Amino acid sequence: MRVLTITALAGATFLATMAPASAAAWKGYISHPLGFAFAAPGELKVEKGTYQAAVGGKHDMIVFRSVDDNIEYKAIVIDMTTQANQAATLMGEAQYIFQDRKKVLMDTFGRVDGKFGRKLTIDLPNNGGRTTAAFYFVNGRIVSLQATVLPANGDYDTPEMGRFIDSITFYTVRAANDATELTVPK
Amino acid sequence: MRATHLLISAGMAFSVMTAPANAAWHSYISHQLGFSFEAPGEVKTTVGTYRGSAAGPKQTIVYRSVDDNIEYKVTVIPSFRQAQAEGANILGEREYMFQNDKKVLMDTFGRVEPGKDSIYGRKMTVELPKNAGRETAAFYFVNGNLITLEATVLPANGDFTSPDPGRFIDSIAFVLSRTQPGATELQVPEVD
Repeated sequence: MRVLTITALAGATFLATMAPASAAAWKGYISHPLGFAFAAPGELKVEKGTYQAAVGGKHDMIVFRSVDDNIEYKAIVIDMTTQANQAATLMGEAQYIFQDRKKVLMDTFGRVDGKFGRKLTIDLPNNGGRTTAAFYFVNGRIVSLQATVLPANGDYDTPEMGRFIDSITFYTVRAANDATELTVPK
Repeated sequence: MRATHLLISAGMAFSVMTAPANAAWHSYISHQLGFSFEAPGEVKTTVGTYRGSAAGPKQTIVYRSVDDNIEYKVTVIPSFRQAQAEGANILGEREYMFQNDKKVLMDTFGRVEPGKDSIYGRKMTVELPKNAGRETAAFYFVNGNLITLEATVLPANGDFTSPDPGRFIDSIAFVLSRTQPGATELQVPEVD
């Protein structure tokens, strides 16, 4: 009996040692003004950027970003309200730019809360990793969730990418009860 | 020499006799709906219906011709002017319904017109259930109009890799200066 206990303890210690360092807990995030919620691990930071495209033109972009276990998680919001009547083309253009000149591994329908979008997986050039992304057009904005497994992680089949992009919801009642309200920069 | 001429003449006659009965392709335009396309055969105009969860119940305008056992169809739902911001969602739903429960052979980006005038859509090829043929389609949402081009190679034709469906769906133009001169103006029936 004692031998069995020692063996079990040794096994448990071994497994704990071998487990990846993805220690960060997943947390829910919500933005009532932007109308969506998602879940991500690690510390989420907010950045501002600019999106530019031939049809879409130049637009402000907000990026909510975290990194955990060498996987980068990004929720990108592009304000297209001034051109929302071109929604279908603007969405198509954003998806096209995302995969342009990259190796596409998946390109399929995304459907969340009655919103039809697109999910894609690409291999980044120069062995830069693998990105899975989802694109939706909601309330005049392109909302894209993108998870990139970096080479330092190396587990390109990790389920974490899917967990992230499939965590999005446009019904705020479906967000986690303790979801953190996102700060939306002006 | 005479024998050679006879053989060539006989060969040409045989070729003409065995060629498929293809009709000439014509160009069609609708200034009201803002697009043009090319199709063979006689294009007829009808009114149909469409229903989607996002789109709701809608009447459609259908331009249809059949040539050499290939059916060419352009379907327009012109009643989304008040819902253009929902265009991406309505378009995605239409594409999803097209391929649902069918074997998808191609699903790729569609882009018409260059640069700033580009219109992005989707092109798909599916096999119809029960060996009913192969259908290639293109989907675009422009100015409140949901436009679908579909070419179906029927089993009676059997040449499922025919280039004609591709010629049809790629003939669409939204910059009407690109339309071939002499295009026939399409009738636009009143729909809800």
